[in-house]
Amino acid sequence: MPFRRYLPHYLMIAPFMVLFAVFFLYPILSGLYYSFHDWNGVRVPEFVGAANYTKILASRDFSRAMGNLFAYIAITVPLGILVALGLALLVDSFTGRWSNFFRNAYFMPVVLPAFLAATIWRWIYAPNFGLLNIVLGWFGIPSVNFLNDTGTMLYALIAVDIWVSAGFNMVIILAGLKNIPTELYEAARLDGASKRQQLFHITIPMLWPVLFFVLTYGLISAMQVFDKPWLLTGSSFTSYGGRRNALLFPVMDMMGRAFGGVKFGEAAAYGFLLTIAIVVVTGVMFGLRAWSERR
Amino acid sequence: MKTTKAFRAALTAATALIAVGFAGAAMAEDVTLEYWVYSDFAQGDALAMQQEFIKEFTDAHPGVTINISGKGDDDLTAGQVAGAASGTVPDVYMNAQSVGAQLVDVGAMANIYSQFMALPEEQRAQFDKDALASCMPKPDELYCLPYTGFGSMLFRNLTVLEKAGIDPTTPPATWAEWYDQMQKVKAAGMYAIPDETLVFNSIAEIYATTGNTETWGFDWANRKTRIDEATMTTVLQKFVDMVPLNTGTSRNDQATKDLFISNQLAFHTIGPWVNPTYDEAAKASGLKYDFVLIPGDTAGKTGGIRSYEIVAVAPGKNQELAFQFAAFITEKTQMARWAKLLARYNANAAAMADPEVSALPLIKVSVDAAHGAMEVAAPYFVGSIPSCYNSTVIDYASATADGDYTPAEGAKEMIAALNECMAQ
Amino acid sequence: MSPMRKLRRFTLWTALKWALAIAIALVAVFPIWWMINVVFAQAGEPVSLNPRLWPTSLGAGLDKITTIFAETGYLRAYGISILYALLTIAGVLLVGSLAAFEFSLFEFPGRKILFGVVLLALMVPTAVTIIPTYVLVSRLGWLNTMEGLVVPGLASAFGLFMLVQFMRAIPRDMIEAARLDGAGHFQIYWHVVLPLCRNALVTLAILTFIQTWGNYMWPLIVGTKEELYTVGQVVGLFNSPLSHHTVDTVMTANLLAAVPPLIFFLIFQRQIVQGIAMSGSKG
Repeated sequence: MPFRRYLPHYLMIAPFMVLFAVFFLYPILSGLYYSFHDWNGVRVPEFVGAANYTKILASRDFSRAMGNLFAYIAITVPLGILVALGLALLVDSFTGRWSNFFRNAYFMPVVLPAFLAATIWRWIYAPNFGLLNIVLGWFGIPSVNFLNDTGTMLYALIAVDIWVSAGFNMVIILAGLKNIPTELYEAARLDGASKRQQLFHITIPMLWPVLFFVLTYGLISAMQVFDKPWLLTGSSFTSYGGRRNALLFPVMDMMGRAFGGVKFGEAAAYGFLLTIAIVVVTGVMFGLRAWSERR
Repeated sequence: MKTTKAFRAALTAATALIAVGFAGAAMAEDVTLEYWVYSDFAQGDALAMQQEFIKEFTDAHPGVTINISGKGDDDLTAGQVAGAASGTVPDVYMNAQSVGAQLVDVGAMANIYSQFMALPEEQRAQFDKDALASCMPKPDELYCLPYTGFGSMLFRNLTVLEKAGIDPTTPPATWAEWYDQMQKVKAAGMYAIPDETLVFNSIAEIYATTGNTETWGFDWANRKTRIDEATMTTVLQKFVDMVPLNTGTSRNDQATKDLFISNQLAFHTIGPWVNPTYDEAAKASGLKYDFVLIPGDTAGKTGGIRSYEIVAVAPGKNQELAFQFAAFITEKTQMARWAKLLARYNANAAAMADPEVSALPLIKVSVDAAHGAMEVAAPYFVGSIPSCYNSTVIDYASATADGDYTPAEGAKEMIAALNECMAQ
Repeated sequence: MSPMRKLRRFTLWTALKWALAIAIALVAVFPIWWMINVVFAQAGEPVSLNPRLWPTSLGAGLDKITTIFAETGYLRAYGISILYALLTIAGVLLVGSLAAFEFSLFEFPGRKILFGVVLLALMVPTAVTIIPTYVLVSRLGWLNTMEGLVVPGLASAFGLFMLVQFMRAIPRDMIEAARLDGAGHFQIYWHVVLPLCRNALVTLAILTFIQTWGNYMWPLIVGTKEELYTVGQVVGLFNSPLSHHTVDTVMTANLLAAVPPLIFFLIFQRQIVQGIAMSGSKG
């Protein structure tokens, strides 16, 4: 009786799987259904084929949002990892109490709710008398309108992003550092390797699995970026994305179409386009890892 | 003559009594109404007054409970739309006129025309005619009662003006005079005005200095924008002219208020809701300011926009009672008390005409401002405004101010993009 | 190289390192410090005159805080948010660890497929499922209830993924030994595996706390009545662009929302940091 043998296993996963099926699989499948329909949440959904998809792909906002997303990811993901790695190395170079102190200080922004980080930074970035501009003023630099100048908006967002997430990634990388056997460094030192050579030939290769985790997770969450740009630009469902849509991202556009335009079918289709993009990117990442491990 | 008047009054009272009696009979069982308002209605003095209204109503209607919930602007719409999707729209709620069509579309708003017509004529006549008409897309369809509202005004920092050598006793009568003052303020090393291209409503406020309701808003029959190219060209030129004078913050930014309070900003075009903030600053730090009409291109023309918050009623079993409550809070007695407490304009013309109310300076200017102003998104309740519309207007206004287009190009491109957006 | 020069280079390098570490600590912590200063400063003082580099008025800050407590249901919102977080944590830990126990330590038909499907969930933006989930919850009659707030978030794909990563490292011998001692399936889970993953469970609890505390959209549409407002929603009332609040009250409302997670962090910092480190480095 193979089924009886496996029954305890199925019983144990049942609570999770039932909840998962009801509150995730069912909604996502009905979302898929709605994405092929014109639906405002109330009227009977009307089948429209792939019209929602083609309409989104052709829309100006979609290309804008995707363009912004690529620029954002291209900077924030690698830079975020570099900063986190730098912080981890820095903290690691201290010992005892000070190591803990700096680690905790760098980690503190992580625990704040996202809406809060955005509110604080809106004030720090304010032109003329925002904290940052006051500091720049001490050095005679004229006021910069960080959140309304299309040339600086993306960087302003990335700075907040890194401020919030660097501590989290740093802690993960720190653990990776601690796992590297010290004998490796001793051997290298005996061979006369410089600090820099040790970094590039021992630390980074040994950290690679950890960095891969941070990178993949960073990519997935960066593609879903929503609350920080939404709040930094003071967006609302009737107008969002900031000056000239410089901080318009896919999830923002999707939420706007859902609650601003009351087009739930279109919003669902938008979500699936984004999901496909995320699945492809993640797939590529894992493919790359498999390929590099085989080499 | 006198007898007819007395007779009419008696009749009104009788009808009102019957209506109350009817409502009373209709709810033998206990009923709870959900009442959603803007967040500033559910805080401080405003909340105390709302609760007083609720108490008076529930005292007259035994067995009725009313729950008031305050929500931010976006959260109101999101909650109502989501509620419509599950059949749980709040029974009575506020929102802006401009999202009305959307809410009708999702079935969140009941047609209250026949209930409204059953009200005493005297009560019906209290509403501002234009405001009421905006709730009626067709002669026998009424989806809301106009509630509070605003006409945008020009808040002036008198200290800044004096420092710039401007005599503040006579406000600027035309755009040319106003622009001249802005330049003087800048020359004196202060900011003239917020960046008006950042927010849809402030673009509309400046557009109204040249254009009017007929050349703004939507042509729903042809699904096109009503914006006029020549007018928009003039307006975009104004934005270009204001680039060196502005603060870089939007009219809604708290940062803008901070500049105004700290005597670095001369003009702030906005609705009366900033007055409590400025009033407090006047007491705390000696801010000297006043509020006047936004000048238009020619003397006597007013810029700025007008919009009303509305009260709507959800269809369903509580509709009758919910409407009674909506009618009660929008009635003259309540609206006059509300206006006196907060010095805020509202859509009950009879309450605005109450001598004690109209003597309040903010109300006086508000009434004139609202009458001269442009409707922000007229006509209402016809179609849902596509989500691309407002952002397109902001986009091209900002791009022109940034120098990417000449004003003439910007106007042309904007209108083409808006028509494309409307056609979707 | 003479010992003298070596020492000098050493101190220069150390000094630079310290300067850098302190500068970064300032950047990380200052915004939070600044928010505290904004609250504890006289209201209406222009930022240009008082940049609020340190607290200037204790009384004004306390005034603002009492006003907010008096005018809004902030205290009740604290209660709701804490209950919401605790129930979610309890549910996520229980349901997630039960499933992770099976997925990481046993073989059974369908294991790979089921786990793969759950992992896919990590890649779907929440916004995709929010409306259908909402409609479902309303059909269950759960709007404006605690179960509506909590239950849909219990099957956390992230939580499962994290626990599986951790439990994989548990030696199979230990489980076999327990089985030979006559322990049942559930007993192995309860008495052997759970105690071994204490750290991972604590980390997941903390991450879940941070996440539910900051969650905005779901409470917003499910809990529409004031009795069910979370802290995030109450803060939303203040952040609304047209509200006539000044920066002082807005910051006060925000600061009050930040206090519980900050306290939480200061108490549990060691566990938090260790736990996150473990979950990531096993990836």
